[in-house]
Amino acid sequence: MEQLREGGKLILVTTKPCFGLPTACPNCLPVFFYLKFARLPFDLYFHSTFPDSDQIPYVESGSYVAYNNEKGGVIECLKEDGIVNLDSDFNTIPEWISLKAMVSSALADALMHELWIASDRKCAQTIYHSDLPWPIGPILYLKQARAAKQQLGITKENANRKEAEIYKKADLAYAALSTRLGEDSFLFGDRPSSLDALFLGHVLITLQALPDTSVLKSKLLNYNNLVKYTEKLSAELVGDVSAWSSGSPAVSSSTNPSSSTSKPAGFSNWCSKPKTKPKKERTEEEKKFRRRAKYFLAAQFISVLVFLSLFGGSDTADVEFEEEDDGIDYNE
Amino acid sequence: MAAPSEELQDKQPTWNTSIPRNGEEDEPEVEEDDRHEEEEEEDDEEEDEPQTPESKLRSDGEKMAKLANRLRSEPVTLRVHDVIIKGNTKTKDSVIEAEIIDELKRASTLQEIFQAAGIGTVRLRQLDIFDSVSFMVDAGPKELPGTANVLVEIVETKNPLTGEIGMYTKPGARSWSLEGALKLKNLFGYADIWDGSVSYGWDQTTEVSAGVSLPRLSRLLTPVFARASLLSQDWLKLSSYKEQALGIALGLLSTKNHELVYNMTWRTLTDPSQMAGMSVRRQLGHSLLSSLKYTFKVDQRDSPLRPTRGYAFSFTTLLAGLNPDTRSARFLRQECDVRFAFPLGFYRAALNLGISGGVIFPCGRGYLDRPSSIPDRFFMGGNTSLVCSLAGPSSLLGFQSRGLGPTEPRRQTRDTSDSDSVTASERDALGGDLAVSAFADLSFDLPLRVFQEAGIHGHVFACAGNLVKLTGNEWQTFSPKNFLQSFRSTVGCGVIVPTKLFRMEVNYCHIVKQFEHDHGKTGVQFSFSTPL
Repeated sequence: MEQLREGGKLILVTTKPCFGLPTACPNCLPVFFYLKFARLPFDLYFHSTFPDSDQIPYVESGSYVAYNNEKGGVIECLKEDGIVNLDSDFNTIPEWISLKAMVSSALADALMHELWIASDRKCAQTIYHSDLPWPIGPILYLKQARAAKQQLGITKENANRKEAEIYKKADLAYAALSTRLGEDSFLFGDRPSSLDALFLGHVLITLQALPDTSVLKSKLLNYNNLVKYTEKLSAELVGDVSAWSSGSPAVSSSTNPSSSTSKPAGFSNWCSKPKTKPKKERTEEEKKFRRRAKYFLAAQFISVLVFLSLFGGSDTADVEFEEEDDGIDYNE
Repeated sequence: MAAPSEELQDKQPTWNTSIPRNGEEDEPEVEEDDRHEEEEEEDDEEEDEPQTPESKLRSDGEKMAKLANRLRSEPVTLRVHDVIIKGNTKTKDSVIEAEIIDELKRASTLQEIFQAAGIGTVRLRQLDIFDSVSFMVDAGPKELPGTANVLVEIVETKNPLTGEIGMYTKPGARSWSLEGALKLKNLFGYADIWDGSVSYGWDQTTEVSAGVSLPRLSRLLTPVFARASLLSQDWLKLSSYKEQALGIALGLLSTKNHELVYNMTWRTLTDPSQMAGMSVRRQLGHSLLSSLKYTFKVDQRDSPLRPTRGYAFSFTTLLAGLNPDTRSARFLRQECDVRFAFPLGFYRAALNLGISGGVIFPCGRGYLDRPSSIPDRFFMGGNTSLVCSLAGPSSLLGFQSRGLGPTEPRRQTRDTSDSDSVTASERDALGGDLAVSAFADLSFDLPLRVFQEAGIHGHVFACAGNLVKLTGNEWQTFSPKNFLQSFRSTVGCGVIVPTKLFRMEVNYCHIVKQFEHDHGKTGVQFSFSTPL
């Protein structure tokens, strides 16, 4: 806290706002909520030209900076540097620790899968690459999608199996968190912790940024108490959705919970069942179709080659070689 | 003109000078005389056949003398009927013709043909794909008197692959760089030169590039080139960022005085040290630079390495943001250099004066309060030669690279007092949007003849420079008076040693004026540059 006093105002640097959220990046939104829960006044600065950076989000105040790739993350940096610590009463509770590990691994992996692999590229590009000029944006998207696949260990052969595994773990996590939450305001006790910040960030992005065909979203909507918990806290902390318009480089964030003037779009409108997703049912048929299409194309190509080799070369007799003429005739 | 005259010594060209270009008979009298002369020559030739070698040699000499007299006294009307090219197994005829045809077509006398042949020889040698080039003038067809055939014999280079290696100091670079290049010449027969180069700087700057140049492309009259490069520069110690630039450059126009180049570069700034100050942190990430750079350069000095007389100037304009995507960088960058050299008349002494300036204007939405991109700003410092380089306001002897100008404190952590950061500056050099530098240099021969013969000479110099930030609303507090009062300055003396591989300067610099956070150091400094 001494560093903050010397440095002045706190600034949280994140990716740009979109989907009605101050930031739709799964790494950045939890930090936003953590500072909100801590009731620390801070400004937001949107850095949208470095989507593949592991430093963002970061918190700065004067010459003090807490990067996300140090000491286990920004929240851990803030705790260790004595800026703010909401977990002092919880980090000895085994259930808290295991739920936090579940949110940080299973749910984080599931959201990464949805953003980079399962859904179309529009979602991820809106969050990360919309301010980058062509062709940098598309190339970085491909680079980050490939990195996500490598991190999740997904290959062409095991894609379906891995996907099922990811959704299963996410469902288990939701069930455990739903059981833990019950009808309470926060996951543990009557005050928030970093676990609430992490989970709230995950849920908001899942519900507002992912398309309606998302399986993860449909699984989450099955747990009404989780949806209500998210709705209540987002109304208090996120406030007016229109305030998070893209293009504003810095926005001051007030800690006054009553600053919000209108509720965000209600999550209860959403149907808990996903829209028909024929993609999974047709996977086997698609594979068969593609295999047959490949055989057909290969057969066509070979037949063209055979035709050319048997009947081609008849034009060579018509080519006349002109004798080399070294000079240029300047007959006038 | 050596080539044609040498060939003429070997052969005896015969020509008819009577028929003018349009086929009209303008000089009938000359025609008859010349015909008689030719008949005499032919009779002489017939009579010479049974002659002894000595007498043949004597008569050849007499004919050559007669020819030389004739060339000196009057224009010998002659036009080119045909150009025959021999020796090119790979090179396309069109490539060779493009270098020589226009001049030969315009020639209407033998003297002009010789001149055109000389120009053609130089141009063909400049293509750098031939081992030798020779021109011969021979008689044209008998039915077309007054014409000549020009025979061009070339020998294509046997080994199209060449390599070179050197060590240089570049303007704006922190230290020396070792450069190696491979060239593959005339791969497709269009005088195309493919080259690949690798450059490694002692400050961990690396550049890998590959390119191709063509002397002519379609109807363009000037050489064109295309180059792809990957550059990695490490500015962590001075500005807390590393720069990686992947770019394509297209040379659209290249003449003696003008150059127009289009660049498209994907630039990425990173900070692996995670110690950058706020200004640098804000600029980390990816950007696209699509720019057109025009350079107008005139150098009328008697020598680029040790000018003693003449003047030179260079204006460079860079306009960035040419693609329709508004998210790419947009700015205008202007540099100018002016140099004068005055001889003083003793010990081959000369006074060189120079002034350089540069300014950068961001364009586009919010240009008034948006800061300029740090890698595009002007930085001053380093040991590049003041006299030789025409590279904008970049060098100020006595100061380290990026050793003056606006700075900003870096990130503070609990570990900043560790010994690892002893050599690192605690502030980031941010560069400036407006930079001006000037110098005066008096060069002279050293007393010993040994030094004079080796080209080693001394110099005494004084230089000054300043740079300030204008963008990001800083222009509102700009004052010309403060700008002039905050100039840094250095005086010194040194010795310049030119060698075949590089040009070395050993200077003693005394810092006259510097400000807090500048990195000027009084003492001996070395610099290396290309020998040209």
